[in-house]
Amino acid sequence: MKDFFYTTKFKVLVAVAVLLGGMMAWAGANGRLTSAPQEILSAVLSPFQKGASVVSNGVSGLWDKYVRIDSIMEENETLKEENRVLRDQLVEYDRLKAENQAYQDLNNIREENPEYTYISAFVIGRDPLEQFGAFTIDEGSLNGIQKGDVVVSDSGYLVGRILEVGPTSSKVMTILQPGSYVACVVSRTRDSGNLNGNTQYSIAGQCTLENLSRDTLATVGDEIITTGLGGEFPPDIRVGTIEEILPEESGKSSIAVIQPGADIYNTKHVFVITDFTTATSSKVEPSSEDADSTAQSDSEPSDSMANE
Amino acid sequence: MVVTSRRKRNLTIITKWACYIFIVLVAAALQSTPGFLEFGRVKPLFILPVCLAVAIYEREYSGAFFGAFAGLLWDWTAGRVSGLMALGLLVVCFAAAIVVELYLRVNYINFILVNLACCLLVASTDFLFYYIMPGYTGLLRTYLTVVVPMALFSAILSPIAMICVRWVKHRFVVED
Repeated sequence: MKDFFYTTKFKVLVAVAVLLGGMMAWAGANGRLTSAPQEILSAVLSPFQKGASVVSNGVSGLWDKYVRIDSIMEENETLKEENRVLRDQLVEYDRLKAENQAYQDLNNIREENPEYTYISAFVIGRDPLEQFGAFTIDEGSLNGIQKGDVVVSDSGYLVGRILEVGPTSSKVMTILQPGSYVACVVSRTRDSGNLNGNTQYSIAGQCTLENLSRDTLATVGDEIITTGLGGEFPPDIRVGTIEEILPEESGKSSIAVIQPGADIYNTKHVFVITDFTTATSSKVEPSSEDADSTAQSDSEPSDSMANE
Repeated sequence: MVVTSRRKRNLTIITKWACYIFIVLVAAALQSTPGFLEFGRVKPLFILPVCLAVAIYEREYSGAFFGAFAGLLWDWTAGRVSGLMALGLLVVCFAAAIVVELYLRVNYINFILVNLACCLLVASTDFLFYYIMPGYTGLLRTYLTVVVPMALFSAILSPIAMICVRWVKHRFVVED
């Protein structure tokens, strides 16, 4: 028995008991239910507990998901389908919005020239190597477009002409192309000239009105419109405004630098005038009833014709 | 994917070239899309880098034929004279493949430089045929501010084409 009290195990046991007693005394004296070592232990174990909790919750969640996998997959499919429908609706909305805008523009243009026949077209292609703004539109011969048809912007300004026609697309040559002559007139002064592309100004999206009379009264800001002379372009289509008037090299005439009203390099939507001959012929060719007045008007040409 | 049987080998080759064609179709669509990556009037070329990448990875003859195909695609999508760009790309791809094979290592820097040279060559030739030979004057400014930056822009973006083509090349390996 004596040996028992002297054994190491017993001493340790007593030491532990004293330690526990001391802990109880310390906790009681400080009025706290948890002792310091417990707090320390708790602080040390806390991250592991949190980790374990996360794992546990994860496992629990995984198990929960596993148990409910069918309903979750079904829900996922439903949401995917709903998402797809909403995306389709969004695309449809964008399309309708663009179409609506196009129809509004068309309506505005038709109000200006109700006798012309228009086809709405979107720009679908631009070649990076193209330097005069030529582009491809999404309407072709199947839609009634022919080579030479006149193209205007959605605000009614002249853009160019149809150069090539395919079944479902067409290529447009713009007024920035040198050699694309259009008979035009300064709206205010009725000074006539030939609108033509110019390599010097095309980079800035501008073109020139050539063969203006040297003593022209046209000034910067004057509006340029087509005359309809030659029958290739309808009359009174707006082109743009004068930016600058320069003397020609020979000194015999003047050149006006024109800022087209259409943003030719960036335009995305245009209208193709497929028929204006009926309208212009009804204007130009009078009926037999007013033949006399026609003869009178021939001898006294109108302002625009006088300049032409 | 390494395949050995004859049937699978043919299938792999067909799939690989179908992927190349798909890439060049996407490139053609992007290249002709109005306003896509367009800064001012500078718009990058996408078809040419794809052709050059295919030529470099698939050797000169395959690359040349592919260049011709892509050139036709370019001609049609841009409403250009059919065959002119096809011929141009055939020659350019053939020459580029040989130059790379003989003198250059295939890496991004060299690919960008080759693209820069080829884009400048193609764009300048086009400029010569379509704008200088018809007699238009005063186009130096256009050349310097549009054509040269376009070649630079195209070259900078060309590694994208290289990555795509290399992925297809390594994805469909045919063991002889």
